[in-house]
Amino acid sequence: MDKSAELLPGTLDMLILKAVSLKPLHGYGVLLRIRQISKDALEIPQGSLYPALYRLEHHGLITAEWGQSENNRRAKFYTLTAIGRRRLREETAGWNRLASAMAAALSATSEEV
Amino acid sequence: MIQRLRSLFRVLTRRRDFEEGMSEELRFHIEQSMDDLMGSGMSQEKAARMIQAELGSSINIKADCREAFGVHFFDEFRRQFSYAARLLRKTPAFTATALLTLAVCFGANLTIFAVLDSVLLRPMPFPEPDRLMMIFNTYPKAGVDRDGSSLTNYYERRGRIPAFSSLSIYSYGTEIVGEPGSTERLQTMRVSPDFFSTLRLGPAFGRTFTDEETTSETNHVAILSDAFWHQRFNADPNVLGKQIRVNSVPRKVIGVLPPSFRFLSSDARVFLPLASRPEDRAPSRRHSGGNVIQMVARLQPDASRAQAQSELDAQNAALEVDDPQAKMIADAGFRSLVVPLRADHVAAVRPTLLLLEAGVLVLLLIGAANLVNLLLIRANGRIKELAVRQALGAGWGYLVSEVVVETTLLTFAGGLLGLAVGAGGIQLLRGLGADRLPLGSRIVFDARLAMVGLVSAILMGIVFAVPVAWFNLRRHLGNALHSESRGGTSGRGAQILRHSFIVSQIALAFILLAGAGLLGLSLQRVMAVSPGFQSDNVLTGQILLPWADYPEAGRLKFTENLMDNLDHLPGVLSAGVVSNVPFSGINGKSAATVAGHVRHPGESARGHYSYGVAGDYFRAMGFSLRAGRFLTADDSRRSQRFCVVDEDFARYYWPNASAVGQRLWEGSEAGKDAEAFTIVGVVGGVKQAGLTENEAQGAIYYPYAFRIGDSVFVAVRTSLPPESLALTLQKVVRQIDANVPVSDLRSMDTRIADSLVTRRSPALLAGLFSGIALLLTSIGTYGVLSYAVAQRRREIGVRMALGAQPGQIRIQFLSLSLRLLTAGTVLGLIGAWQAGRAMRSLLFQVPPLNVAVLAAAACVTAIVCLAACLLPSQRAAQISPMEALAEE
Repeated sequence: MDKSAELLPGTLDMLILKAVSLKPLHGYGVLLRIRQISKDALEIPQGSLYPALYRLEHHGLITAEWGQSENNRRAKFYTLTAIGRRRLREETAGWNRLASAMAAALSATSEEV
Repeated sequence: MIQRLRSLFRVLTRRRDFEEGMSEELRFHIEQSMDDLMGSGMSQEKAARMIQAELGSSINIKADCREAFGVHFFDEFRRQFSYAARLLRKTPAFTATALLTLAVCFGANLTIFAVLDSVLLRPMPFPEPDRLMMIFNTYPKAGVDRDGSSLTNYYERRGRIPAFSSLSIYSYGTEIVGEPGSTERLQTMRVSPDFFSTLRLGPAFGRTFTDEETTSETNHVAILSDAFWHQRFNADPNVLGKQIRVNSVPRKVIGVLPPSFRFLSSDARVFLPLASRPEDRAPSRRHSGGNVIQMVARLQPDASRAQAQSELDAQNAALEVDDPQAKMIADAGFRSLVVPLRADHVAAVRPTLLLLEAGVLVLLLIGAANLVNLLLIRANGRIKELAVRQALGAGWGYLVSEVVVETTLLTFAGGLLGLAVGAGGIQLLRGLGADRLPLGSRIVFDARLAMVGLVSAILMGIVFAVPVAWFNLRRHLGNALHSESRGGTSGRGAQILRHSFIVSQIALAFILLAGAGLLGLSLQRVMAVSPGFQSDNVLTGQILLPWADYPEAGRLKFTENLMDNLDHLPGVLSAGVVSNVPFSGINGKSAATVAGHVRHPGESARGHYSYGVAGDYFRAMGFSLRAGRFLTADDSRRSQRFCVVDEDFARYYWPNASAVGQRLWEGSEAGKDAEAFTIVGVVGGVKQAGLTENEAQGAIYYPYAFRIGDSVFVAVRTSLPPESLALTLQKVVRQIDANVPVSDLRSMDTRIADSLVTRRSPALLAGLFSGIALLLTSIGTYGVLSYAVAQRRREIGVRMALGAQPGQIRIQFLSLSLRLLTAGTVLGLIGAWQAGRAMRSLLFQVPPLNVAVLAAAACVTAIVCLAACLLPSQRAAQISPMEALAEE
């Protein structure tokens, strides 16, 4: 766990959207998928996962449907909606801009000043 | 946003599913992670602890999820709702008083609003109804304010006034419709071809009339109303081309109107072309309106009424240039006025309705003041509980929403009860003649009205919450606990608020009472006016004779027959026929020219009520004879022309001489000698249009043979109760012709009473409203005074222990109520004065500031308020010092 980084505020929603954009997932699946795609580098506050899912569903970014899990149990699967897809695209672009700007700023050396 | 609301709605309607889903989802999560962790070799115990640590409490997660979904507000609301309901149930006396007050106030307001909505607000069922204009000729200096329009006007104006996109004429009528043996008398309208296109609402199927169908040879076509199509033709879709008989003449059905079609207040079932002969359209007939034909036009989208008026004035001026009568027409003050159709139609009742609406709003204000006072008193009783809860951390937002939920629950429940009262009130208004108002038949209790009622109930609940919430949050916590535990007096601010509500209640009730008094006194003064004849024991009815079966000679024959048959009936003292009875609602005047009368400059031909009479009409109606003799049946058979005038007519033309023996002609110009009528008698003046009619225009009575018109009224004086003769009268008419019905059978007394309905009903309603207002005010005064006594129990106890007499205590409370009463009455006097001025047009021979009415209102208000104060004051005087002090 020591190698994992704390999530920045607001990034959990982005990660959830990304996770369900690849394939419909249940809540626990979202958790596993984020761990997997972040190569275990991000620590997900599990207590915030479900409220975040409910908030995203309430805002119409994802929809939920009951279905069968891999081991044949009833589970709620989340799918990205068109609005959600657009939001993910915008947030990704915004994040990339921010990240490259931060990187550029932080890598500045004294010669460049 | 919509998406969010929809998902919220889905969750709220299946709340249990939402909760179960949430639990199942979390359970699934825990079990899956458990499997995974135990799969990687962890012990069950350790895995459970780890999951617990990572996930946190599932109760918290669920609460966060609910909040994320916006559900928690509704949970909160539900909790506050049931809390408020419980509190209200715990105080049944308060709740019942509040609900009753609200039910009565809302009910009364909904009832009056339903009338106002129907008559003044709801648009007429035509596209862009505000562009529809009424045009009528007026000759104010001849005493004819309103003369409709003439056919000539129509043919001269059609298409020539650029401000109007369309212009048409119509006239109302009643015709006998149906095959012989199954005829019925129906309301009809005769309309010009462009009538429907002016309204922009034509037949649902079929066609409208054409210009070719406006002659009496080609007008055998008819358009049916939807109701008539259903009733007579059973909604037959192939009705076009079928025949119906109107006044014995077969006509072809060419169209059926949509169900929504309703022109103003008319209940016309059959529409016919307004046919005329070319000579009726000649320039010489331009001023022959007689209030029979009316003109309605639609303004161009970019034209204003003022523009239309000036174009019309310009055209009239141009046409009068080569009119031989131009001088006389100008002297009469002739103009053609353009007025908005609906406003014109409801102009007569508008002030009365607005007055009633104002009255009923005042009632609502009184009820509201009452409730706020009761709520404040109630809130004061809970101040300690609230202070404790605030101290324990209840946020102000929570406390405010709690108050809002409680007051809104109360007003909403009151609103629901008010709907029931309103529905009953509308029935009551029908009984008082509301459906006879212009556009009054549209008065219904519908979803729109219920919406208005419930929305305003909710708004009112929110408004009520403001002072209560302010009161609850206003004072410092510690202070509240402090003052209550000591049993001290209530806050000064709250007391002033309560007292000012009482003062305004008294003032408003006083205004209502004074207003009702003015209306009542006016009604009494109107009823004291003599109609000019003996209205008791006279039965009257209208007989409609179709022209096809009864041309002029036939009409005369019919009336003679009728008179012969009636005269011999038992119980009939005298019987007569007239072209128009007083109080019939038909008030056309026509011109007459008196031989030898030279008009002074500016004087025009005058419009007079003109009647054709047969039989013993004057005796049947109980007219008084001032000079000469009445007309007799023989006057109709003579070639020599005689007539009778009334005293107003005689006084106008011969102020210093006898009218008997003088001669006059019908119409606005002197005619041939042989056509002149010689006056043989002068009778007393009679009110034609209503008891409040104050212009004595004069009347002329011609023998029936010389003035045969559309309608025939029969008047019978009887020794029996007049209504009991109705069946006999109908039977006699049916014996002469089975297809001729008698309608509008009413005694003259009933006609006069009916003509007062627009005065009597408002006066009754105003009386009812002020009665309720007084009751509410007394409840309010009683409540506040009782509260004041209860609050000051301790203080009174102490004072009595120190030697105060019960009488002093009683006086103290009575003087408080006297102060409130005086302040309320003074404010009320100012208000009543203003109200009286505002309602001046509705008063009859009563000044807006009537001392007797105001004094009576003051007395009644004082008695009611003091009576309400007596009991609490008495209770204060009976407080026992021992008990009051021992209560702590």
